[in-house]
Amino acid sequence: MRIIRAVQELGHIAVAIYETPDKDALHIRTADEAIWIGDGPRCDYLNIDKVIGVAKKVGADAIHPGYGFLAENPDFAKACEHNDIIFIGPPSDVIQALGDKVTARRIMLEAGIPMVPGTDNLSAGDAGLREAIDFADKYGYPVMLKATAGGGGRGIRRVENEKQLRTELPMARAEAKSAFNNDAVFLEKAVINPKHVEVQIIADKDGNTVHLGSRDCSIQRRNQKLVEIAPSLIQDKALVDKICATAVTAAKASHYVNAGTVEFLVDRDWKFYFMEINTRVQVEHTVTEMVTGIDIVRTQIKLALGKNLSFCQEDVHIRGFAVEMRINAEDPQNNFMPEGGKTVSVYRSPGGYGVRLDGFVYQGFTIPKVYDSLLVKMTVFGFSWSETVDRLLRCLNNFVITGPKTTIPYYVNLVQDPDFKKGDFDTSFIETHSHLINYEDQVSEGNKLAHLIAEIHYKGENPYAV
Amino acid sequence: MERIVQGMGISEVLRSMRQADGYYITNTARDMSQSDYKNRILLHTDLLAAPSREEAGYFSLEITGGASVHVDILRKQVDPFLKLELLREKMPKTMFQTLCRGINLFGYRPYPQNVIRFVVKEFAKYVDVWRVFDFLNHVPNMQAVFEEVQAAGKILEPCICFSTGPEHTNEFYVKKVQEILDVTGDEMLLCIKNHGGLGSPKRIGELVDAILQKYPEMIVHYHGHNTDGNDIGRIVSAAMAGAKIVDASDHAFTGYYGPPPILSVIHTLKEYGRNAVGVNEEAIMETSELLQPERKYYEYFESQIKGFDPTVQIHKLPGGAMGSSLEQAAKGGFLDKMPEILHKELPKVQIELGNYWSVTPGSQILWTTAVSNVQGGDRYGNCSGDLRNLLLGKYGPFPFYQPPDWIYEKAFGPDWKKVLEEQGGMEAIEDIDIEKERKTLADKLGYAPTEQQLVTYLQHPNDAVNFFRFEEKFGKVYVLPPSILFRRGGFKLGETLAFKDHSGKEHIIEMGPMQESEDGSETNVYLNIDHHQRHFVFENAVAQAGEAKAIKLNKKEIEDLAKAGDVRAPFTANICEISVKEGQEVKAGEKLVVLEAMKMQTPVNSEVDGVVAKIVAKVGDAVQPGDELVKVTPVA
Repeated sequence: MRIIRAVQELGHIAVAIYETPDKDALHIRTADEAIWIGDGPRCDYLNIDKVIGVAKKVGADAIHPGYGFLAENPDFAKACEHNDIIFIGPPSDVIQALGDKVTARRIMLEAGIPMVPGTDNLSAGDAGLREAIDFADKYGYPVMLKATAGGGGRGIRRVENEKQLRTELPMARAEAKSAFNNDAVFLEKAVINPKHVEVQIIADKDGNTVHLGSRDCSIQRRNQKLVEIAPSLIQDKALVDKICATAVTAAKASHYVNAGTVEFLVDRDWKFYFMEINTRVQVEHTVTEMVTGIDIVRTQIKLALGKNLSFCQEDVHIRGFAVEMRINAEDPQNNFMPEGGKTVSVYRSPGGYGVRLDGFVYQGFTIPKVYDSLLVKMTVFGFSWSETVDRLLRCLNNFVITGPKTTIPYYVNLVQDPDFKKGDFDTSFIETHSHLINYEDQVSEGNKLAHLIAEIHYKGENPYAV
Repeated sequence: MERIVQGMGISEVLRSMRQADGYYITNTARDMSQSDYKNRILLHTDLLAAPSREEAGYFSLEITGGASVHVDILRKQVDPFLKLELLREKMPKTMFQTLCRGINLFGYRPYPQNVIRFVVKEFAKYVDVWRVFDFLNHVPNMQAVFEEVQAAGKILEPCICFSTGPEHTNEFYVKKVQEILDVTGDEMLLCIKNHGGLGSPKRIGELVDAILQKYPEMIVHYHGHNTDGNDIGRIVSAAMAGAKIVDASDHAFTGYYGPPPILSVIHTLKEYGRNAVGVNEEAIMETSELLQPERKYYEYFESQIKGFDPTVQIHKLPGGAMGSSLEQAAKGGFLDKMPEILHKELPKVQIELGNYWSVTPGSQILWTTAVSNVQGGDRYGNCSGDLRNLLLGKYGPFPFYQPPDWIYEKAFGPDWKKVLEEQGGMEAIEDIDIEKERKTLADKLGYAPTEQQLVTYLQHPNDAVNFFRFEEKFGKVYVLPPSILFRRGGFKLGETLAFKDHSGKEHIIEMGPMQESEDGSETNVYLNIDHHQRHFVFENAVAQAGEAKAIKLNKKEIEDLAKAGDVRAPFTANICEISVKEGQEVKAGEKLVVLEAMKMQTPVNSEVDGVVAKIVAKVGDAVQPGDELVKVTPVA
């Protein structure tokens, strides 16, 4: 949807592809053309041949891979290159190098980027287990077990002891194989309760590389981001500047082209470590757009079409604060279980100054069971942090979605939390603020009475009166 | 002349009434609702009538008690206390009156003393006039209620229940009055409770006269029913004989078995030179003008048989039980047998069982016995648990004579004398641990209950919990008018319903379409609630067309199966208690399940010694004859 908007603004034709479960999705209805590629779920979207075949059939000049499925698959980028279709993203070899976490670590080490201690790809079978145990013994538990080809928080497990390592390793391999079609995994020493700080970078083919400032994505649940903020709320501006400069160095070291994100962990001693580079536009790019005024997707397309950056680092100014909240069809009170399959019976969104919505749903839409539970990204901008927090609460209170349960009531509690208001949080926030889950499932008196009226209507008489 | 207003004590009421030149009126709206509308008249309607009823200047408005407390939570989903609070807001001057069944409170069987006292204390905060009766006119059964009402400073109105027959003499009733006075002292009003509307005007006049001859200072309140169409005659006769208070209700809703119209009473007695004290006839007219348009919504709950029933003088069913009895007959498919039941069997049963007063719960025992005698063929062959308790004297002594021995033999077998000796007589019901019940209720609800919730729970445990859960789900539904709550056949597409909720917030609901899901398993009802679209999903009942029809077992087969440990329901009933657990050892004669039919409870006992292998039925289930209840594996 985000991409279609940018494509259409540039005066191009936006062609969407879809699997059957997505047939009623909003982006399918918004695209200039929509091509069905199969019943799915999640297999046709991952089928490079099919996607390329369709692109050729419709005469596509370029493909924007979005932020899921094939977005970070170097084979897909390569296939585009072979078929003379512009891939809107970095070249396939950059994706290849950075997507392989172990190679990426090597590049960054050579460039002098601070790194968390970690292993190379673990060998197959028992040898790999031995390597893992040795590494953990040397650096101490907990350690993070990561899929080499993983990204976006997926394929990461925290391991507390050897026993757990023995059981988790084969599971991690199997999961990596099914999720990323690559069973390579490696270990990193775990940084305890770090802040997750990332930097949006953007580079053109001539190597002009700028950063668009920092983002804080510490508020995560099981490594899945829920709330993202730009810029980082770290008080020490010099530290943030240093992180941003390091990100540019890292991008240059990997010969990066197009938009990407360099992720860092910041520990409690304010030391920061390189984590990975995401070679795609990220869900949370909206907050950066709000505070810089730069349309990242539009810039991506222009760069892919061979243009150079129209601005330099000095042109990038960060103004105010932006927060993105992922409004998911999930029941926070039931372990954030997805609410797929339910129909959005009411959809009433907030508006007004400083509010941006990137949504995928509409009233009457039935949420597919087979995809991500994200319904709409609500991005709120404010000149100061407190203004932004006030606006967040107002917008959440004015956001009505009925049908599926959503993360909205949870966020209503979250934005009123004193630590959140202070900007004091790290990746343990959700865990240490478990009380935020306590909210009443509020059904208004009018809705309750209407429920009875509906039942009287359905039964043809009041079943409770006879 | 000054009207009597809420807040006056008994002495002041007695003084005013004794000085007054004229009589007072009680508007028995509750009795009208119970007798002619199966207790369904909603608080919404009573609130509509409240301002003009307040202006009408009645001595009291009978608005709670009888079966209404139970029906409030069971069928109208309104809190009986909230109802009184809301009415009080609109009616600050009018006394509220209740009808209390003594030891049986507002239910059908005796409660423990501490429950009675607790319940009366809570209700006494809202209820000013307490009419108290016992269906055997057994004064000790009313004593706890008397004491609590007097302790609360409220107005006590003990009843003598009235009936007809050779035993029902003036001497008997005057003696009963003395028995009551011995307990209450003379700070009370006396009610002649003619719940069947029995006797001629002459007979009622004579009775009032006999009482006043003996107790000239007594304030007599005549309560009647218009079942035979002649209650105004009796009222006039009672008032002429000196009764100071009479019962009637709003003509817009008067029917057949409840009270007669107030205005007719006033106009008739005026001709006889008796004036209604404090009443405002215009306000009475205005009440009915407001109520008239509402009546059509209650049509479904009106009696199955239309018209007055002068044969009440034969069958003596109380007005309050007429509607529900006829409804049971209609639902049970034996409406055609009513002449036989009402005119032949019921009078016979009355005489056989001691010619006591046919009023709750005694009237239900007479009725179910008569029905069972006609339906079952074998008279007294299938005695209900409550009939057995009556025969054993658990409700109190028979007032005139004991039923014949053969009935005892039918009920208890050849050893009936031994059973009577061992189990006969009233026994004090043990107090229950109210604090423990409070905790149980709190566990069920997930929050600490209010005193009022506890009172409701102590009287009707299952129904109270269901009601509290209903309110959590559907809110306070008393705000909905009968045109919505009692709508039959659904609403029209696009129909707009507007109402205010309990907190006063306005809501507008527009009816949208109703659609079945593709596979037919669910139905979606679409509504616009306050301009927001919503839909509710209802699971469709599974069609049972393909299911084989249950094999009907006859009585003999059911008994034979029971002897083999396969316990089946002997008649159509609801399960109100499962008394055993799976794996439990039971002896022959031990209670397994308690069934309830027509408010009467009957235990189903094991026929064999054995172990409970399986419990098929659940509390609340409706069962048909032959349905499986419990399986007992007999021990060899």
